[in-house]
Amino acid sequence: MKMPSDEKQFADKAKQLFDESVEELDAATLSRLNRGRHEALAELERATPMRQWLRWAPAAGVATAAVFAVMLMQQPAIDEAIDVPGAAADFEFLMEGHSLEMFEDLEFYVLMDGLEENGHVG
Amino acid sequence: MNTESAVFVVSWSGEHSIRTNALDKERQLNRFFAEVERRALRIAEIAVRDRDDALDIVQDAMIKLARNYVQRPEKEWTPLFYRILQNGVRDWHRRQAVRNRVMGWFGRSRDDDGDYDAIAQAPDPMGRTPDEELANREAMTGLEAAVGRLPGRQREAFMLRTFEGLDVADTATAMGCSEGSVKTHYSRAIHSLREALGEHWQ
Repeated sequence: MKMPSDEKQFADKAKQLFDESVEELDAATLSRLNRGRHEALAELERATPMRQWLRWAPAAGVATAAVFAVMLMQQPAIDEAIDVPGAAADFEFLMEGHSLEMFEDLEFYVLMDGLEENGHVG
Repeated sequence: MNTESAVFVVSWSGEHSIRTNALDKERQLNRFFAEVERRALRIAEIAVRDRDDALDIVQDAMIKLARNYVQRPEKEWTPLFYRILQNGVRDWHRRQAVRNRVMGWFGRSRDDDGDYDAIAQAPDPMGRTPDEELANREAMTGLEAAVGRLPGRQREAFMLRTFEGLDVADTATAMGCSEGSVKTHYSRAIHSLREALGEHWQ
């Protein structure tokens, strides 16, 4: 922007006065400015570790998704390993209120169970 | 070098590079703030007529630049910093307007110039005679008062262009307007100031 010479002269004088007023700032004010600057720089240090963590956020997301995927793929095998109907039958048996004396002859019942499976009984 | 050593060296050099980069940024930012802070303070002080409030505005601007824009190229820092600063000044004026309205309802007003000390007591560091020093201080006081009376956008354009020496493009970025608007505001500001100060500045 081309400025008329008298306007430029005016601006130059204003700038000169302004610069002088900047040079005349007292020590207490300069000290407060210095303190403010260091607080701002401390903010930079506080912000940096967060930014470094955020940089790993996508990788962490992918890793978490992979772990979930593996868990989901393994889910049917786990279901098969647990014989849910059998376990439920045993639970029902226990809830039927048979006498606890049965457990005193537990070895006898195990033997009977084995014979039943081998076709020696019934 | 076995695999573990290689991984360690790569990891160490990566971390070292991040730390070096952070330190470089900190040094650059420190240099930038040290360069602009005093002029920024005077610009804010002329706009709000209160040194304590101006110091708060400048510090706020420095913190916001450090927090949000430090990764931007260094050449963008000046207009960004002054944009934040000008927003701070505008917020201050809005708050003052609300405050004055509220105080007006209670029949009170604040005298901002009460503790404003324009004349420092220290000897002149530039070696001027007392008469020259006094004349310059009076001229600056007159200029500050006249700049303070300008409409907000004209004041911003004048101070950023004249005092901070920003070019039209950077001033437009700092003010958040077009370059054409900057030229218009600046031209009007110069005319108003020359009219207001003409007789004292001949």
